[in-house]
Amino acid sequence: MRTAAICVIIVVAMLSLFTACSRKQAGPSAAKNVEKKLVVAVMPKLKGIDYFNAVERGAKEAAQELGNVELTYDGPIEGKVDLQIPFIESWTLQKVDVIAVACNDPDAIAPALKRAREKGVRVITYDADANAEKSGREFFVNQATFEDIGRALVDEMAAQAGEDAKVAIVSSSPTAPNQNAWIAVMKRYMAERYPKMQIVTIQYPEEDQGRAFSMTQDILKTYPDVKGIFGISSVAFPGAADAVRQAGKSGKIAVVGLSTPKSMREFVKDGTVKTVILWNPVDLGYLTVYVAKAVLDGTLQRGATEFEAGRLGKVKVQGDQVLLGAPMKFTAENIDQYDF
Amino acid sequence: MTSKQSPPLRLTIWRQYGREMSVGVFLLLLLGYFGSTPGFLRAENLRDILINAAPLVIAACGMTMVIVAGMIDISAGSALAVCAVVAGITAKAGAPLPLMLLLPMLTGAAIGAVNGWLVAWLRVPAIIVTLGMMSVLRGGIIWWTRGEWIGNLPPSFSAIGRGEVVGVPTPVVIALGVVLFVALLLARTPFGRHIYAVGGNPVAAARMGISVRRVLWLVFMLHGMLLGLSAVVYASRFSVIQSNAGIGFELLAISAVVVGGVNIFGGQGTVWGSALGALLLQVIGTGLIFRRVSEYWAPSVQGALVLLAVVTDALRTRRAGQ
Repeated sequence: MRTAAICVIIVVAMLSLFTACSRKQAGPSAAKNVEKKLVVAVMPKLKGIDYFNAVERGAKEAAQELGNVELTYDGPIEGKVDLQIPFIESWTLQKVDVIAVACNDPDAIAPALKRAREKGVRVITYDADANAEKSGREFFVNQATFEDIGRALVDEMAAQAGEDAKVAIVSSSPTAPNQNAWIAVMKRYMAERYPKMQIVTIQYPEEDQGRAFSMTQDILKTYPDVKGIFGISSVAFPGAADAVRQAGKSGKIAVVGLSTPKSMREFVKDGTVKTVILWNPVDLGYLTVYVAKAVLDGTLQRGATEFEAGRLGKVKVQGDQVLLGAPMKFTAENIDQYDF
Repeated sequence: MTSKQSPPLRLTIWRQYGREMSVGVFLLLLLGYFGSTPGFLRAENLRDILINAAPLVIAACGMTMVIVAGMIDISAGSALAVCAVVAGITAKAGAPLPLMLLLPMLTGAAIGAVNGWLVAWLRVPAIIVTLGMMSVLRGGIIWWTRGEWIGNLPPSFSAIGRGEVVGVPTPVVIALGVVLFVALLLARTPFGRHIYAVGGNPVAAARMGISVRRVLWLVFMLHGMLLGLSAVVYASRFSVIQSNAGIGFELLAISAVVVGGVNIFGGQGTVWGSALGALLLQVIGTGLIFRRVSEYWAPSVQGALVLLAVVTDALRTRRAGQ
């Protein structure tokens, strides 16, 4: 009995320590309604990683440019949907004007967003969508379609390793939705455009650098005629590049993939990786705040096909999605300009 | 052989190291099976397998002590990440080699000391303590590093993971050293025998005058220290250190120990078995890729092996009891 009580106390203590840490980070931006300023609350999947730090920077830039927008940027420190919901609930109570969310789960978050809508808060999503129907969100700011990314990856591989190359894919977990959608596009596009290109194997190292590394080593040994490796997660790409480099095959085997430029910089510098493909998360945050403002103003409505977003110029609108545009390529020439 | 005692030496060895030997035989069978694929038995590949298994072997040695003492540690993966980041930061700060090894090991020992203290003095079950510690460390490391990876590591650091000592890769040398050290500690010292006693029957151990608390605390600290060393070997292998490394590593380490014949309830088992168990898991992982088996199966096969090991262990102990 006593032991059980102590267990409970300790678990509670640990949890409260945890929330204390995350509270502290909430900082000064907690929404305060200054006269007539529009309050836009932006939530990342999780705080504290390079990628969403870059999103935050873009969002701040847009808020400053627009002038009458007050930005609240906050979210959980772990990418879990149940940690996102309390933020939405408190923002709803505070009656912010717009909530923009990068969702950790499309369905689980929907009821909370729906309740916010019913209380008169406008809701959009970015980076990762919510279930459009169940959440009632108005627009999804889409950083890059699966189609665009899949094609860009395959085109880049064809250019580097040849149109008839044998290639392998190092992915994330076998159930990761983004990775699986990209793989589906890649397979289809390869069949259409480069019928001689062949995928010899797909490996799933989960989110583990060590496994991505050793799996790539094993791929190189098992399939000696492989000419290119796709690393299609921010963990798989550096892991695969590292294995190719340490095998002394930099420049002989093409490594193409998706990750943040910062984590790939040293591989790009030494020539193991020629191109890193990704969208620009700063621009994503920037566009999200512009869309939030326009939804509130009524300047962006369903049925529009184009949308003017500050320094990004005109971006495309398809149905209920605002598209950031073609994926970006980071190479030895431009990679130093980006610090995310 | 010359002894006049009734059980012949062969039988004694079998009785004492039966599980370890059957793991060894199983490992050889697997090597034979995977060996039929081209390239698998090449020296280069066997070398890579040994290097890649080294961090797991080291961690499994510490985990062996913990499990023999009747405890468990599921915060090992998170602790590995913390120690790896400490190692990376120390290395980047230009610290000399001894510090690069020492600081992560001290970090690990500190984490172990907290776990051990909570378990030994507050009597909180180890699974609960380390479950909490797992999240605390995992959250803490993300908060601390802001998710950033650590790159541009100095060559003196990378030399640990990629260097050689008279032709043998350094990680393998370190792993072998750790196995020997823990084996001697467990088999030849009073402290080692106390660990078995505490794991076998804590009440009896206390009556024998063993300080159960002190033994448990030390076991967790030593295990933490080895985790720190494992983290250095792991991290120095790569060009960049993932701040979120080692997710699921604790389960691999526990699997290695259990496959290696250590009784999950404590009191029995050797570090040799755990080392073989770690090698076995690595060989299976690599072998399945060489065999071109769908990667979807790999986790299931590893899980099935653990079950197989536990079931045979249960059958053995039942038969022994009859």
